[in-house]
Amino acid sequence: MVEQAEDSGLRVRLGGREISLSEDHMTAAKALARRILREPFTKRPWAELAFYVLSGGLAAIGLGFVGFTMVAGVALAITFFGLGILALSIRSARGIGGWNRGLARAMLGEQVEDPEPFAGRHGFLGWLQSSLRDRVGWRAIGYLAIKVPWTVLGFYVAVSLWWDAVFCILRPLAGSNGGGPPIWGLVPNLFGGDTFVFDGQGFGHGLAVFLLGFVFLFAAPWVMRGFVNVDRLLIRGLLGPDPMAARVRTLEQARTQTVDASAATLRRIERDLHDGTQAQLVALAMRLGMAKEKLEDGDRVDLDRVRELIDEAHRGAKEAIAELRDIARGIHPPALDIGLEGALATLAARSAVPTELTVDLRTRPTPAIEAIAYFCVAELLANVAQHAQASRATVSCAQQGTWLRLVVRDDGRGGAQLSTVGSTSSGLAGLTDRVHAVDGRLNLVSPPGGPTVVTVDLPLTV
Amino acid sequence: MVGALRVAIAEDSAILRDGLVQLLVDRGFAITGAVGDPSALRSSVALNPPDVAVIDIRMPPTFTDEGLRLALELRDRYEGLGILLFSQYVETRYAADLLANDAAGIGYLLKDRVADVSDFVEALERVAIGGTALDPEVVTQLLGATRRTGSLSVLTGREREVLSLMAEGRSNAAIANALVISEGAVEKHVANIFAKLDLPVSDKDHRRVLAVLRFLES
Repeated sequence: MVEQAEDSGLRVRLGGREISLSEDHMTAAKALARRILREPFTKRPWAELAFYVLSGGLAAIGLGFVGFTMVAGVALAITFFGLGILALSIRSARGIGGWNRGLARAMLGEQVEDPEPFAGRHGFLGWLQSSLRDRVGWRAIGYLAIKVPWTVLGFYVAVSLWWDAVFCILRPLAGSNGGGPPIWGLVPNLFGGDTFVFDGQGFGHGLAVFLLGFVFLFAAPWVMRGFVNVDRLLIRGLLGPDPMAARVRTLEQARTQTVDASAATLRRIERDLHDGTQAQLVALAMRLGMAKEKLEDGDRVDLDRVRELIDEAHRGAKEAIAELRDIARGIHPPALDIGLEGALATLAARSAVPTELTVDLRTRPTPAIEAIAYFCVAELLANVAQHAQASRATVSCAQQGTWLRLVVRDDGRGGAQLSTVGSTSSGLAGLTDRVHAVDGRLNLVSPPGGPTVVTVDLPLTV
Repeated sequence: MVGALRVAIAEDSAILRDGLVQLLVDRGFAITGAVGDPSALRSSVALNPPDVAVIDIRMPPTFTDEGLRLALELRDRYEGLGILLFSQYVETRYAADLLANDAAGIGYLLKDRVADVSDFVEALERVAIGGTALDPEVVTQLLGATRRTGSLSVLTGREREVLSLMAEGRSNAAIANALVISEGAVEKHVANIFAKLDLPVSDKDHRRVLAVLRFLES
């Protein structure tokens, strides 16, 4: 029972239960129907079909070649010659994988990066060894080994539909009864296959076959797409850059940044000690030396001047002590001896902007992580004080599984950016380097007008 | 005061330890022991109990918070023993641990303060007779960490200065001296502060320190 509902949608009564189809549902259903009807006449399914046929053929030939050379290589492996063939086989798999990747890029627009280029070591033996160990080559062989059976299955299930659609639609139009090319594939078999198409008689049967052709036609793009999508996944996973190699690259970058950062830190400490503390001590010694000479002047001792000199020396010595303490704190915050919570409490207390701290830690992070967390909060609070024009800040430090999450929030003017001037620049970019070095993440949200929220995630252990 | 105040020193840096001994002897203190690690101080105090122990926070074997733990232990064991913790840096957390029960006979000073000899000696004497001596830096941190900024904003600038000095453990006379005002003026400021913050009035210096600290911590 169907009736027009008040909200101009449809209300359908099914077995006493009322189901209302709102206008949204109707529009969505119409859009879906339109999409299905149009799909076979757009460019995409044809490109996918062409890709499937071409790359499938390429993969089959490739697998045949690689398989043959591998068998030959293994059979002859007892001689040196066999190893050479094996190496060539792996290298050629790399090439065939490259062609497949190129096809996917050109025909499907699949954006897969090239894997790292082959780096052969010096000499024939080096080349042989690098080739045999070429992960890209081996992964390409894995791709071919999965791709070929997948292609065969795809032909049986999906590609067949296109062929059958054309055949079923044209056959009644040609008025033919009996004979002609066979229909095949998984889906036609569900409909009775050749028996259904060839054995019937009369107009009704012709119409049924004709309509069945359209069912095939409209189903074909979607079934095909399923197969192509799996292929895309295979290409991304096996023909793209090796995740292991990418990981090594990331680690290498992180190491470089860490080394650079520690070199920069040492330079800064050296400068602070040299320009600050040492200069202070020199001035101090100089004043004391002058005072001593004045005292040795015999009866004409200028006591006022001596007192003045000692006074200046005294003040200078106290300044040097305070400076030295700040430098030492920058190298290793002593408060970390009692744990992150106590150290953060001191930081929050010393912050120029009133800062509220909440800490929820069940496990104690490793010292390296504690130090990074400490310096992150120190730097972020210093930023808040210097740039944010904030009246309040909050710091939260909470454990989430095996991660430590730091959130520093202020109510300032926002607009902070991760500047990346220079590789070891100070500020937020320097923090990002530190955090990346231990596989952590730093996220900055700072819309103009504020508030600024910086979230740092660190693993509890490194 | 009958006789010289007796002082025990635990400080692992020999230069600083010798300097302290020299300074205190020069100022008429009696040194009962000058040692470089916690266990040596333990036996020294047991053998020859001092009025006050000057303890470095970082000492062997781990160079972290040995001194703090030793201080808490000695406080429990010897009633009336003054403890002056002496540190290269101040941490809010240490101050909180140290002042958890009582502020009487407790001091927490930066090592720098020894440079101002009279101030240092005065603080040491205060601690020895059951008073309190908190480093200005500690007080600044406590004021910075407090959630009571709203309540503190009712104080005038001068009253805040008086509050800080009071939290350091200074007597009215010392506060008057530091701010170059009369003792009567200090008393008036103190009364105003206690009224404005609604604190229990107390005549003992270390009790009022505790009242102020509790207020800042709550």
